[in-house]
Amino acid sequence: MFAIETEGLTKFYDGQRGIEELTMGVREGEVFGFLGPNGAGKTTTIRTLLDLLHPSAGSARIFGMDSRRDSVAIRARLGNLPGDFGFGKHTSGGEALALLARVRGIETFMRAEELARRLRADLTRPLGQLSRGNRQKVGLILALFHRPELLIFDEPTSGLDPLMQEEFLALLQEERDRGATVFLSSHELDEVQRVCDRVGIVRDGRLIAIERIDDMVGKTQRRVSVEFAGPGPVDLDELRSLPGVMGLESHGARITFRVAGELDGVVKAIARHRLIDLEVAHPTLEEVFLTYYDEGGDEDRAGEGAQGADVVHEGMAGEDGADEGGAG
Amino acid sequence: MIALIAAQLRERRRSPLSWGLPLGAWAAFIVAIYPSVEGALEKAIRNYPEALKKAFGIGELSTVEEYLHAEMLSLIVPLAVGYLAVRAVASALSGAAESGRLDVLLSAPVSRRSLVWAAFGAAAVELAAVLAMALALTEIGSLLAGAHLSFSSALAGFANVWPLALLFAALTIVLTGWSLRTSIVTGSLAGVLVGMYVLDLAGRLDTSLDGIRYASVFRYYGNAIENGIDPVSFLGVTVVAVALAAAGVALFERRDLAG
Repeated sequence: MFAIETEGLTKFYDGQRGIEELTMGVREGEVFGFLGPNGAGKTTTIRTLLDLLHPSAGSARIFGMDSRRDSVAIRARLGNLPGDFGFGKHTSGGEALALLARVRGIETFMRAEELARRLRADLTRPLGQLSRGNRQKVGLILALFHRPELLIFDEPTSGLDPLMQEEFLALLQEERDRGATVFLSSHELDEVQRVCDRVGIVRDGRLIAIERIDDMVGKTQRRVSVEFAGPGPVDLDELRSLPGVMGLESHGARITFRVAGELDGVVKAIARHRLIDLEVAHPTLEEVFLTYYDEGGDEDRAGEGAQGADVVHEGMAGEDGADEGGAG
Repeated sequence: MIALIAAQLRERRRSPLSWGLPLGAWAAFIVAIYPSVEGALEKAIRNYPEALKKAFGIGELSTVEEYLHAEMLSLIVPLAVGYLAVRAVASALSGAAESGRLDVLLSAPVSRRSLVWAAFGAAAVELAAVLAMALALTEIGSLLAGAHLSFSSALAGFANVWPLALLFAALTIVLTGWSLRTSIVTGSLAGVLVGMYVLDLAGRLDTSLDGIRYASVFRYYGNAIENGIDPVSFLGVTVVAVALAAAGVALFERRDLAG
């Protein structure tokens, strides 16, 4: 059963591309990451799901209901944190909370108080007097206080300090444990990697892949740099022959290479030598995209977009079939 | 709906003070000085050109009510409160879109229709509160200076501004159906407000242009402080305002709310 289903969802506005032919499914109870660089169409997708934007073509269903016709009923069951949360300069978080509680027919504020305590949010001061991060905390409380079945977050941790980012991720885990579905739009790969079950990758308005997070991490290449105690008898050919290792280069006592998939073999091979330094860099979002384009055999970056997406989707269909709810 | 209206009024709770207080204080000053300038005014007004007196609705200024109309209610109060109506609705819709408030409200089980009608309802209450504040201060000025301003006349004069302002609240909803940029909405409607006043003025100055006055709401505004409220005009403008607001709601429901 899908909490969110889109079929060819397309939005053009002011002559600009928003999203094109977006087909995906988010299962009930999963944390679904929606990854893409700024301007990729993440926010447009969310706004279309929420009926803030009307689709140019295609459709979206949430809990089986039409996102346009049944938008009020749908919104009764979801919590949303927009990318840049605001609610008017003079209104305090408490007043905003009281209004939304009344609109949602909620009379108890215990959950909101608990969230405020955990996030160290000030609900008494007017929002215009709060920093962006503190406003964002209020937004999180408004999105979560009514224990919705579906949570939609658009760049939720922007503006939050690292401690609060951790607290947010902990809250997300709890929401998942409770059975809520989470749709998390982000351009922070680490954040998505930590909490999501699956990710959809969007670029230039098109969904280029839907993957389980483990599969995605397995496919992406990490950059490894190793400095040995001396030039010594390191067998570079042995390293080159390890599964997933590529682009190995030697610079005296230091070697660099890329690894796709598990690091176990690499770690065991280099552990036989004395190391000075070991650095494993996670891929940037751009590198993750490159992985998918390379996999699709679309080396020509100028031809990216629809063509590359189709290639990746074909691969996905063979992998998980319709059950994946993958892009078609 | 009531919760939304209450929230909008809370957001704009300073309005009666920031708009009603200066307008009321100014009107109170006008009323308060009337007893001391009464004689001189009558002499001065006799030398005014008839067309000018007619255009600006200036009578003999032989009563405090006439003086209050000429100085405040014929131009300043309707223009100011009309603009306030634009600001009030723009704040609830385009301003809310710009601040992110609209996104949050429309993530809750609130229909766009309720949201827009709530903005209109809240504006209607806010305008009434500002006018009531201005009226109260004017009466206080009259009492302190012994100007003998008739309360019922003053009430009619200030109350008559309400449907005119409400019409601009409705026009704001209509315009918000096209643009969610507050500067465009408020700027355009400020122009329409002044333009309507000028149209009416031109029609009154030149009788051959009388027909153009029908395009202006000021044609139906009149001089309620002296002549009482014209119920047909009062209700007619109110009904047109509500109809325009309904059209605006339909437009707003169809538009995209881009972030």
